[in-house]
Order: sequence, then C-alpha cells, then structure tokens
Amino acid sequence: MNEYRWEELALGLKHEFEATFTEEMARSFAEISGDVNPLHVDRDYAVSAGFSGPVLFGMMTSSLYSRLVGVYLPGKYALLQGIDLDFNAPVIAGEKLIVQGEIVFMTEAYRRMEIKANIRKENGKLVSKALIRVGMHD
Amino acid sequence: MPDLLPEIQDIFRDIFDEESLVITRESNASNVADWDSLAHVNLVTAIEKKYKIKFALAELQELKNVGDMIDLIEKKLAEK
Repeated sequence: MNEYRWEELALGLKHEFEATFTEEMARSFAEISGDVNPLHVDRDYAVSAGFSGPVLFGMMTSSLYSRLVGVYLPGKYALLQGIDLDFNAPVIAGEKLIVQGEIVFMTEAYRRMEIKANIRKENGKLVSKALIRVGMHD
Repeated sequence: MPDLLPEIQDIFRDIFDEESLVITRESNASNVADWDSLAHVNLVTAIEKKYKIKFALAELQELKNVGDMIDLIEKKLAEK
C-alpha cells in the first residue's frame, strides 16, 4: 500500500494496476448489494440475453476506483469524498481490467485532489471513466 | 470588472444541484441549505478552476459570506 502524504503529491502523478473478477465474486457482490438481477449471476440467462457470460455489476468493477484511491493514489491516508462515474461498456467475468488514475487538480487550501481515472480492457476498450474527489487524513 | 455574482450563482447551482437556487452577497453557510464542509470544498475547487486562481486556507477562513468571496476573487484576478 502506498502512503503518500500531501506534500509528496503533484499534478500528473499516475498509478495503474490490473484486476480480474470471477463469476464467484459476482455472486458475492450480489449477496452484499442485494442486486440479484440474473444478468449478473445467471450464466444461462446472460447468454440468452446475448452476452458471452454473466455481465459484471458496474458498481462492482467501479469498486476498483476505491482500490485505486485507498491503496495506490494516494493510498493509506486517502479519504474518498466523491466520484462522478460513467459506464461505457459491459464486462464479462474473467476479462482482465486495467485501472489508471492521474491527479489532475489539487485544492491546496483543503488538501483535496481530483483524480481522472478510467478502466479499460486489455484491448483498450473503455469500460468506465471517473472523476474522483479525494481528501487526506492525518 | 463585470459582476461576478451571476457566475458564482451558476457554480452554486451546479454544486448543490439546484437550478432555482438564488445566491446573494449575503448568502452564507447558515442560510443556504446543505452548505456543509464538503460542499464548501467543492465550491472552492470549482471557483479555483473557473478563475484559475488559488486560495490560501487563511484567506478562506476570513470569509463571512459570498460577498467576501467575490471580493477576494476580484482581488486575485486583479493581481494576475
């Protein structure tokens, strides 16, 4: 886990990591969230709807933005304060995802930054994009 | 310098997601609903972005209302 302090952060600082979700993870997310829509947890239903497998929850893949902030950028001292999010393409369980984030604005007076982030598939296809507002705690 | 109040009001309407919100120079955190600390940070960030200026914490702590904020913005724009 990164432990950036405010003084160590700067515009343009970037981090990137990879992640993959399984069907079992999707079932766990359905249990946690209570969203039991079959598109996400029933393979046969998802295939009949025209997908190659269960479609991962958008809020599940977007949880990677929480990891981006809480583990990488800035890491330990992060306080996630807000996020503007757009979903651009569905993700099927098993597909590798690449998460990227970059600090694009810093409000010095309140030690709050904005991170422009996106999640893409290995082929570069945009899955989602986000503008994340992050404060710091001591 | 043009009156900044209409532009500031637009920023408030965007941050508070309230299209009919009316802001005056006397508006402050006690008479605008939902103006909490997080909304305040969002306001300051939006103003810094729009006018390409930076505030110091001490400057912000002296502000009593929107009128004070507008005066501070105008001062910083004049110094640019």
